[in-house]
Amino acid sequence: MNILVCVKQVPDMESRFKINSEGVWYDEADLAYRMNEYDEYAVEQAVRLKEQLGGEPVITVLSIGPDRVVEALKKALAMGCDRGVHVRDSHHYRKDPWQMASIIAAYAKDQGFDLIFTGMQSQDRGSAQVGVTVAELLGYACATTLVGFAFDNGVITAKRELEGGTKGVVKLRLPALVTCQLGLNIPRYPTLPNIMKAKKKEILALPVADLLKEEGLVITERMYPPAKKGGGIVLEGDVGDLADRLIGILKEKTAVLR
Amino acid sequence: MEATREIYWNVGYGVILPMYLFTAIAVAACAYGFYKRVEVYRQGKELNRLDNLSERIVLLAKNLFGQIRVLRVSGPGVPHALFFWGFVILFIGTLLVMAQADFSQPLFNVVILKGSFYKLYSLLLDLAGFIALLMLFGLSLRRFLVRPEGLKTTRDDYLMHILLTAILLTGFFAEGVRIAATELKNNPDLARFSPIGLFVANQFAGLDDQSLKQLHKLWWWVHFFLVMGFIVTIPFSKFRHLFTTPANYLLTDLREKGAIATINLEEEGAEHFGVDKVADLSWKDIFDADACTSCKRCQDRCPAWTTDKPLSPMKVVQQIGEAAFGNAESNLIETVSQDALWSCTTCRACQEICPANVEHVNKILDMRRNLVLMQGEFPGEEVMVAVNNIEVNGNPFGMAYAGRGDWTAGLDVQVMADGADVDILYFVGCYASFDKRNQEVARSFIKICNVAGVRVGILGKEEKCCGEPLRKLGNEYLYQMTAGENIELIKAYEVKKIVTTCPHCLNTLGRDYRDLGLDVAVEHYTVFIESLIDSGALPMEPHQFDYTYHDSCYLGRYKDITREPRNVLHAAGGRITEMKKSGYESFCCGAGGGRILAEEKLGSRINVTRVRMAQETGAPLLISNCPFCLTMFEDGIKTGDCEGELKVRDLAEIVAERIIL
Repeated sequence: MNILVCVKQVPDMESRFKINSEGVWYDEADLAYRMNEYDEYAVEQAVRLKEQLGGEPVITVLSIGPDRVVEALKKALAMGCDRGVHVRDSHHYRKDPWQMASIIAAYAKDQGFDLIFTGMQSQDRGSAQVGVTVAELLGYACATTLVGFAFDNGVITAKRELEGGTKGVVKLRLPALVTCQLGLNIPRYPTLPNIMKAKKKEILALPVADLLKEEGLVITERMYPPAKKGGGIVLEGDVGDLADRLIGILKEKTAVLR
Repeated sequence: MEATREIYWNVGYGVILPMYLFTAIAVAACAYGFYKRVEVYRQGKELNRLDNLSERIVLLAKNLFGQIRVLRVSGPGVPHALFFWGFVILFIGTLLVMAQADFSQPLFNVVILKGSFYKLYSLLLDLAGFIALLMLFGLSLRRFLVRPEGLKTTRDDYLMHILLTAILLTGFFAEGVRIAATELKNNPDLARFSPIGLFVANQFAGLDDQSLKQLHKLWWWVHFFLVMGFIVTIPFSKFRHLFTTPANYLLTDLREKGAIATINLEEEGAEHFGVDKVADLSWKDIFDADACTSCKRCQDRCPAWTTDKPLSPMKVVQQIGEAAFGNAESNLIETVSQDALWSCTTCRACQEICPANVEHVNKILDMRRNLVLMQGEFPGEEVMVAVNNIEVNGNPFGMAYAGRGDWTAGLDVQVMADGADVDILYFVGCYASFDKRNQEVARSFIKICNVAGVRVGILGKEEKCCGEPLRKLGNEYLYQMTAGENIELIKAYEVKKIVTTCPHCLNTLGRDYRDLGLDVAVEHYTVFIESLIDSGALPMEPHQFDYTYHDSCYLGRYKDITREPRNVLHAAGGRITEMKKSGYESFCCGAGGGRILAEEKLGSRINVTRVRMAQETGAPLLISNCPFCLTMFEDGIKTGDCEGELKVRDLAEIVAERIIL
């Protein structure tokens, strides 16, 4: 069996986001990066399937982005993927989900993947379109938001999370693509020998121009944080001090003491 | 008439040959028994514990003859020490007899045991034997009648008590009947120098010479064979501690307290990390099990055991021994259990008190290393999340690393990256950087430095977790990565002195980082503040207050710093009421060993237990010196229903409130 896992490297969501100079994406300064949470579930599920099948499947992990995304690929390799593909693109944030899906589909179409795992969505853009579009482009069966996965005799039984916590169960034949949701599994912590082995695994670097022939369908016009409204203030500390500060605020910002 | 006695009286010189023959056999059996055990120790990896031999010999002599470690717990310690000294005197006495009767007298016609020396010798040996017997009796009462909870009694204990008592009694019997047959009649003055022997002699005074002589022969031989039995059973019973425990003083870990082996992760071909089988241990780890006397002092002090968690440091050490001598291929982690391994707070109370110098903590850490590095296991999912947070953002909370220096807003602190010129680098640590309560401590420390005219720099957003919780959880890989980045920075800024407000950072930067190439003086803020006060740089206006003080494990036991913080608090006007457990006997807050990142799911809560001890002193204020302790106590005061009765504050806060601006 031939498996593909698509992963994205995203900023840690606790980071301080600032809009970049182009005004269409966030500035990369002072950000800490990690593998997109949903993609970790995808990697974990692929590795579990490989283990279930006695190690026979070969898992390829793919990521699009600048050089830093190699770290996410290495993590996936340390978790148990076999080979990495790095589609090098420093303008990844300029591309829309259609272009992203086209890049992946262009790479995958000759590779004969039986099964593709992706995250349900990325934590930063959150379009949730790339996975399903890849399935469409490749003509694969597709199920989204998986919280359960079983494989037996060439058939996937997938449990999907629906609105309001309702669950649905679907069956898919290979070739198929599934997108993974929180609750599917608990991603493993890579062991040291696997981290060491991962350092020696092949990561194929491909320029994005070789794979991307499509124009974007959606253009980002502008990105901005919501306008600051006067939020509540919580004062903490010594009572006497609190009273002084409160009077100060009332004097400064309101007319009640004038 | 000269004071002496005829050696081999009644039994005759004819016993020499069989006596030495049997002794040789017994000693050979004893040596063979140890030889077989050495083979088992050799299953472990190599480790040099015979370097600096002269220092080691001094340690051995001091601890063996001074019984220093044994005496730390006086209840059973004093009787043991007295028994030991009695036994040593008897042993030396026996050697003197041998030296005279079998060497100096026949070869050179020199008699040592005569005159006043013989009188002293007789008295001393009699008293030594009596005290030994008395102590043994007391210890037997403790072990068999009023046995303290948790004291395991096995076949070996019966053997030891019975055999030793019998040896001492038969010795007195043989002496008594000899005196009854000889000195009692022909030199009663001399007999008085053997008061116990004289007492026994008087009981037999009515017997005729012939019966006395027969009885003497009987007691003499029984005594002799009991001693032979004793020698033979040494390696095969807990008697082995006569050799293994003193040997463990010789084999002391001479590295700085708390030192952990730094794994070479770059080593080619290394595919196995940590310990899950006997063969992964060092020979010393196996030897420790033989040095253990099951005195359970470690268990009594273990915060995990005391709060009903499945960890007994004594049991871990013994399980290793059982595996080494039984099924060496068995999985040690399964034997000890993950729950037991993860329960350890690495507080070091076990190791500090151990009279046999057993090294408990690193064994547990070695098994944790296997769990994390080989199996990707953690004590809980929350811990894995925290560890991932450290990897991504350099702190366990998962807060944005860029905000690490935000707490300094409005304070006079320089950031090293801005080309700071400073006297000290304050390594802030994760808690003082991000945790609201602990930020108060950091601010107080800065205020103190400002007043004292000390220019302070921080690494700000470049600083990362020192890696201590990672390392204690067994994640040596991530520890070394994180530490490496800190070290590179500190070196690049050519820092001369580092001060920390966290004892965990203190231990890690000051000791563990040295293995990774950092050699900078690192000081805890309590010591730093004391020196500021002493030099007159920190004018303080003392206000009187009552408090009790918690010695954090990593400052007290690990760094021997117990006096300085108390001095500072005294200078601030504090009147201390000590808790029952303080100093080296302090009771952990529950957060060490990476437990700060873990939920406490087993047994009762360690922090509440400690907070209650503080409450018992009646002092309204508990003062700590560690961000982990402060966090645990804030929580323990709430969950332990001590709110209103007890407050916890950090030493820096107390000082900052009293400095004169």
